[in-house]
Amino acid sequence: MTLAAVGLSHHSCPIEIREKLLFAEKSLPQALTRFQKRVPDSGVVILSTCNRVEVYANAALGPDELQAEIRSFLAEWHNTPEAVFTPHLYQHADKQAIGHLFRVASSLDSLVVGEGQILGQVHDAFLLSQTEQATDKIISALFQKAFTVAKNVRTKTNISAGKVSISSVAVDLAVSIFTDLADKTVMVIGSGEMGELTLKSLVSHGVGQVLVVNRSPERAKEVAAEYRGEPVLFEGLKANLHRADIVISSTAAPDFILDASDFQHALKSRAKRPMFAIDIAMPRDIDPAANELDNVYLYDVDGLQEVANANLEARRAEVARCMEIVEDGVEQFHHWMQGLVAEPTIVSMSQELNSIRERELQKTLSALPDLTEKQAEEVAYLSRRIVNAILQRPMSQLKHEVTHHDPHAVLHLVKRLFGLKESP
Amino acid sequence: MIIATGLSRRLSVGGALLLALVFALRWVHWGRLPLTTLMDVLDLIVVLSTIVMLAVYRDESAQALQCFFAPPLALLAAISGCVAPGYLYAEPRSLQGVYLAVHVGLAFLAYSMFLAASLTSAGYIFKAQQLKSRRPTRLFSQLPALEQLDQKLFFLIRTGYPMFAITLFIGLLWAWHERDLLGPRWWLSPKIFLSFIMAGFYSVSFHTRRFGLLRGRQLAYLVFVGFSVLLAAFLALGLFDVINYNFWGSAQ
Repeated sequence: MTLAAVGLSHHSCPIEIREKLLFAEKSLPQALTRFQKRVPDSGVVILSTCNRVEVYANAALGPDELQAEIRSFLAEWHNTPEAVFTPHLYQHADKQAIGHLFRVASSLDSLVVGEGQILGQVHDAFLLSQTEQATDKIISALFQKAFTVAKNVRTKTNISAGKVSISSVAVDLAVSIFTDLADKTVMVIGSGEMGELTLKSLVSHGVGQVLVVNRSPERAKEVAAEYRGEPVLFEGLKANLHRADIVISSTAAPDFILDASDFQHALKSRAKRPMFAIDIAMPRDIDPAANELDNVYLYDVDGLQEVANANLEARRAEVARCMEIVEDGVEQFHHWMQGLVAEPTIVSMSQELNSIRERELQKTLSALPDLTEKQAEEVAYLSRRIVNAILQRPMSQLKHEVTHHDPHAVLHLVKRLFGLKESP
Repeated sequence: MIIATGLSRRLSVGGALLLALVFALRWVHWGRLPLTTLMDVLDLIVVLSTIVMLAVYRDESAQALQCFFAPPLALLAAISGCVAPGYLYAEPRSLQGVYLAVHVGLAFLAYSMFLAASLTSAGYIFKAQQLKSRRPTRLFSQLPALEQLDQKLFFLIRTGYPMFAITLFIGLLWAWHERDLLGPRWWLSPKIFLSFIMAGFYSVSFHTRRFGLLRGRQLAYLVFVGFSVLLAAFLALGLFDVINYNFWGSAQ
């Protein structure tokens, strides 16, 4: 049996190629069935996201054969010549394939290292495959192990600590200033896309009240209605500034619309309660001198990006620790898989010894005709216990030997010792 | 951080219990409250501060702060417990009885509140500084929100200041009553003088915060620096033995 992972991601190819190989969500069940028709008795999972398209398969083929099957399947399904995407493919087998999945599930291969979305996507891909009965024992065990490894990586390291997108960094900073967002007021000035995204994040984190300031009263009403907020005329911006705990500004104004003195007045009116100002406009809307004021925390795009980069850097610094966990997981799973090679031989050994036992038992029972039914049952039970006791050590030792030595040589020797038939 | 918080808290409580045990043993041994040496005073403050901080920062969102103060308190408690002096000064006659428990106990509880406020200020300054510099570290995210630190700081001042003011008032009544014993210029005693300064300082801190004149980093700096100066002054008085009311007489 060979385990293979063939695919491409944002690391290996541009979006134009990924687009060509992307599986539509609805077509995935059909694709799984098609693959299994193509490679009988195989287990398969297809992971198709905006950043990667990967096929994980287990089948009784050699590594090159299985990888070639996956390539042809991708070409046939997407009606794209292999030559278009093959230069961008990564093709892994056995240990490398296991390691690749574990890194992907643990978000170590993601565009944003440590993001949590990929684990859910891997989980969904596996569940779909399971529902479509496209998994086998090895693929199921592989994905279960991948989930365990990913969970360990997330809980035992800081790989997912600190936010890395502008809007989530803004929310994080707001939470580090204010105890509870529910009793806070956010004022959004202008209707920039980034500003609205940040507002949406804050609202989803339970911010209490929304004030919408816009030069266009209609637009202010529209946005305010969407967030159950209060529209404020642009002329009333400074007069209402003291009401805001959080200010998000993203207008297209060519000059500053708020300066330090505006914040100073606002602070006076609000008993110096802290204010968090997020200036996402370009050019900037708020005079940077406002950040010099005590109790005003002003972040512009660069400031937010700086925090996001620092968080990302901290995550990257954790990668080495994560890789140790992944490598441990790969070794454990690889050992388990190698142990499976011995299974048919163990079954044959057990069958062979049990047939000897059965034969000898019959002889004994024939020689003792006076035994009661209960006594005959006891003798049969004794014989089974003896065979099981004899088999126990060779079975566990055999699993150990095939993981540490050449499995073919070990199994060949055992088969010769016990007079078992060689596998075809 | 959860493990560190738990460990710090256990260490702190363990140290304080050890100290309380030494305190109790000394009490039993001498047959009266062992509160006549500088070490005795510091021991009691450490025990009370531990209790105050654990109580004030008991809520989950603020527990991480315990990691910052619990280990030093535990260390102080353990050292102090080990080097407790084997002697006790003679106690002034007027301080024997319930008065000692009320006046001194209340004063020490106020001191503990002020120590806790000072540590909270340090946390606030650190967090605000990181926010201003736009380079928050991992330690930053473990600290409670600025608003919460500000509320705790105000709570500690709001509770400690009236407590200290009442203590001072009771002390003044008693000193007036015992003015023959203390001498005509008892109010010029360095300790009383410093206590007035302390009351004034916390009155300013409380009222400026109460009326929104000072808040956030400026208040935190004021409380932290003010407490540090007052503590240094008290320690200096204790170490150079200039607390003299004319009643810390001979050693027993």
